[in-house]
Amino acid sequence: MSHDDLVSLLPELILCAGGVLILLADAVAPALRRGWTAVTLLITGVAAWGAWQAWTTLAATTAGSEAAGADPHFLFKSCNGMLETSRITLAFSLVVLLATALCALASDNYLRRERILGGEYFALLLWCAAGMLLMLCATELLTIFLSLELLSISLYTLAAYHRRVSVAVEAAIKYFLMGAFVSAFVLFGIALLYGATGSTRLEMIGPALAGQAGSAGGHVSAAATLGLLLLIAGFGFKMSLVPFHAWSPDTYQGAPSPFVAFLSVAPKVASALVLYRLLEVAAHGTTAARWTNVVAVLSALSMVVGNLLALAQTDIKRMLAYSGIAHMGYLLVALVTFDRTDLAPVIVYLVAYALMNAGAFAIVGLLYSRPGARHEIEELAGWGYRYPLLGGCLAICMLSLGGIPPTMGFLGKYLVFQQAVAAGHVRLAVLGVVASLVGVFYYLRVVYVLYMRPERRQPEGLLIDGWGRAAALIAALATLVLGLWPADLLQWLIAATGVR
Amino acid sequence: MQTALDLLTGNTLTRLVFFPAVACLPLLFFPRGPRQTARAVKIYTLVVSLVELGFALVLVGGRLLPGGGFPVTADPRCSWIAGYGIRYDLRLDGISMPLVVLAILLVPIVVLGSWRGIERHWPAYSASLLLMTTGVLGALMAFDLFLFYIFWEVMLVPMYLLIGIWGGERRIYAAVKFFLFTMAGSLLMLIAILWLAWSYKGASGGTWSFAYQDLLRLDLPAHTQIWLFAAFALAFLIKVPMFPFHTWLPDAHVEAPTGGSVLLAGILLKLGTYGYLRFAMPLFPRASHTALPLLLAFALTGILYGAMVSWVQADAKKLVAYSSIAHLGFVMLGLQAADMVAWQGALLQMVNHGLSTGALFLLVGMLYDRRHTKQFDEFGGIARVMPVFAFFLVFSSLASVGLPALNGFAGEFLILAGSYRALGWPAALATFGVVLAAIYLLKLIQRILWGPLTKDENRSLADLGGREVLALLPLCVLMLWIGIAPATFLRPSEQALAATLTEYRQRLSGPEVQEATLRPPSPPGATLPAAGPPRAVAVDLLHPAGTAARLVASATATPEGTAGIEREAAR
Repeated sequence: MSHDDLVSLLPELILCAGGVLILLADAVAPALRRGWTAVTLLITGVAAWGAWQAWTTLAATTAGSEAAGADPHFLFKSCNGMLETSRITLAFSLVVLLATALCALASDNYLRRERILGGEYFALLLWCAAGMLLMLCATELLTIFLSLELLSISLYTLAAYHRRVSVAVEAAIKYFLMGAFVSAFVLFGIALLYGATGSTRLEMIGPALAGQAGSAGGHVSAAATLGLLLLIAGFGFKMSLVPFHAWSPDTYQGAPSPFVAFLSVAPKVASALVLYRLLEVAAHGTTAARWTNVVAVLSALSMVVGNLLALAQTDIKRMLAYSGIAHMGYLLVALVTFDRTDLAPVIVYLVAYALMNAGAFAIVGLLYSRPGARHEIEELAGWGYRYPLLGGCLAICMLSLGGIPPTMGFLGKYLVFQQAVAAGHVRLAVLGVVASLVGVFYYLRVVYVLYMRPERRQPEGLLIDGWGRAAALIAALATLVLGLWPADLLQWLIAATGVR
Repeated sequence: MQTALDLLTGNTLTRLVFFPAVACLPLLFFPRGPRQTARAVKIYTLVVSLVELGFALVLVGGRLLPGGGFPVTADPRCSWIAGYGIRYDLRLDGISMPLVVLAILLVPIVVLGSWRGIERHWPAYSASLLLMTTGVLGALMAFDLFLFYIFWEVMLVPMYLLIGIWGGERRIYAAVKFFLFTMAGSLLMLIAILWLAWSYKGASGGTWSFAYQDLLRLDLPAHTQIWLFAAFALAFLIKVPMFPFHTWLPDAHVEAPTGGSVLLAGILLKLGTYGYLRFAMPLFPRASHTALPLLLAFALTGILYGAMVSWVQADAKKLVAYSSIAHLGFVMLGLQAADMVAWQGALLQMVNHGLSTGALFLLVGMLYDRRHTKQFDEFGGIARVMPVFAFFLVFSSLASVGLPALNGFAGEFLILAGSYRALGWPAALATFGVVLAAIYLLKLIQRILWGPLTKDENRSLADLGGREVLALLPLCVLMLWIGIAPATFLRPSEQALAATLTEYRQRLSGPEVQEATLRPPSPPGATLPAAGPPRAVAVDLLHPAGTAARLVASATATPEGTAGIEREAAR
């Protein structure tokens, strides 16, 4: 293992070490646990710094010149070519870390209110983040699988973290069973793909498929196609795309709300890039149009089914779960073109989604005090005036989820649709627009319940202090500010992903 | 950052647009709860809106030409989202200027008009008003289609809140219906905007642009145009709203608080007609010409249907709401005529409708503040107890009917005269709308003001107070002023309208293209009417306002009234 390998793993190492540190310190000095939120935030921040440093150092030293840093397509391979570091992985990593930080901020009040504050929660959270960062960089199928397992096992444990509440345990078991299937799918897919092409490296699989296609008149072996399909299905599960979505509403409903802020965002961010890599490989083999169709069908189904089912929900967490399914459908609209220069809209969309969805779940976690009961939207009636800050932030998150300018949610959706129109998928864009109109209806319902209905219940047992407010405020403000001044972010992303 | 600050503090369009939004920030820090806060917020909002009016007058007054014309005023154009061709580009020309001034003028009036009617959550109410002002002004000034879309959507949320929080019984239904209807249209417009920019990218060789001037140079094949036009037109027609997309309007108006209704009628609906004139017609001339029969049918049906439905209402506010559909049908008729006189009339009528319908909504609201009902059956003989109210109601109704020497006449007459010349008999049909307007508005006056005073509750009604008169007075003064001297109000928009019309006709008569092509940018000044007006409109284009003013003057002078109009129009 060379020096550069270590540098490229810097953020993952920071996160893992931080998690271990918290766990150890928690065992030795449990009295310190009130401080774990701050420590977690610090570690996340350091990891973000580490990711940035790793990128700049690698870009500067290996290329040996200033030019490499400016070259958007420059990517650095480390660990025998199993990992890659580039501006794209950096951008995705930062989104994951953002979601981690928001979750840590939002969790503090929840954990203290439920009297389950402990170091292992934060340690698991950090390991999740480490798994995801590794998954983002991995360009080798077994590495992807291992990081997926690191991520998933931490997630199962976190979902069951509130062990006194039976729905949380139920949610975790459902999630675990589904996750076990995913692992099996992915592993089987890897095996098939290895059998068909003789490699587990994505950069080798692509040309191998192309070679097969060249010699067999445009066809690749059934094993390779099946392997790719299984892999796509596996990551489709993680992104909760229709028809692999069934676990998400139940899991979201039962799992601790602030953790759902993380669960509903970060794994999807990481899976999106992996899915993109897989599609890039798949496009080598057979005609790209066929895979475009697969993605288009998944996208259309997710948009339509997600929105229609969300419409029928009265539980805000289930509603957000279905809306999350629909959002992944919008995101896939941008993935129908397998071109690296088209990743900018995807990242913008994910940043927006991370902010608004994590913000919404964070606020839900603060405003509902009985984690075992249903989270009826109607219970928020009139609370927009009782909690002006949290209500306002929730309203902004909802409007942003609905894609109403000048929020970031609109910008993300817009860029995605622009991509689709520019790639000639106008019908998909129109479908997305119609679906998002349905979406506006149920997001608005939260806004009118907050502000236009007389109050129905008195708050009881809520614990809201600076940590929770900060999570809500950061999410909502960032949604607004980045919606109004997207220029710098986009500029950087465009530079990262190539010229438009 | 420095430029942003300079723009915000200088005598610029940016300041005009964003001052209300910035002025919302202090509202966050007003203490909540006590009654005095509401009073402080009211006064604060009034001051802000008056300052904004001052800004508008300084800006517009300072740039008016000696002859009464209004040149294009622009803020420095800068890149907003680089790499995607999205720019921050605000301009004010003769077409948008009257509407901008109207919008700004209505805000203090709305504040005065809701002084008593709004009892809860004043900070939120004030913020909604101010944010909506920003949205409306931005949409009127944006010359980049993406920017336009942003502002277009920004207006929705405050209006949704205005209806939903402070509205009547079925307010949530009305608010959601309003939101979804408008959103449905505008989302399709978003796709159309995207497609347009994408076509530009294809035709220009790879650069995205959403700039209005750039997209105007784009000639599209007929089959593409028709779809894009359909998407744009749908968004605007829903907003206007034109029959058969009008069903959200009565709900929204009836449930909205007075202030919301005034803003809705006075400004928001104008965005639909404005957008149609600014974007839908010039960008897709051929498609808008192809769709003319259908849209004319809609406009005429709207005029007659709106008027007739208005006639049978038992609720004063509903009557005024449906009358909006009829009045805006006239505006749409004028726009579709694509005739200089008709366009001038249409633009004038947009302002007129804002003034007179705004005043009518205010008056109905004042009555509602006192009696908490708007049903005609509850009133009758009010003129005896509220003479001042009676005066204003009669005055505004007559202005709305189109009594000569008041504003409604000038606008409707120009529309009818212009569209008769351009379109023939459909315009003649529309004159029945004027007759019907007289019927339903006279019904409004009669059922509320005259007749025996049957209800005891009505005997003790207090007449309008100073604050209410203050709210109504500017509107009435303007109604009279426009009625007497319409030319003063026509002149600023003359040049911009003529240029747009000339270009519209040139493109319509130009050859049809098979694929998206980009015309070279025209040298500055070439689109001005002086550079050679086409075809039969030469006379108007040379002296458009002159012609229009003469037409009005001669008709006003004709003793037979409406008969005179018909004869002039037939000439």
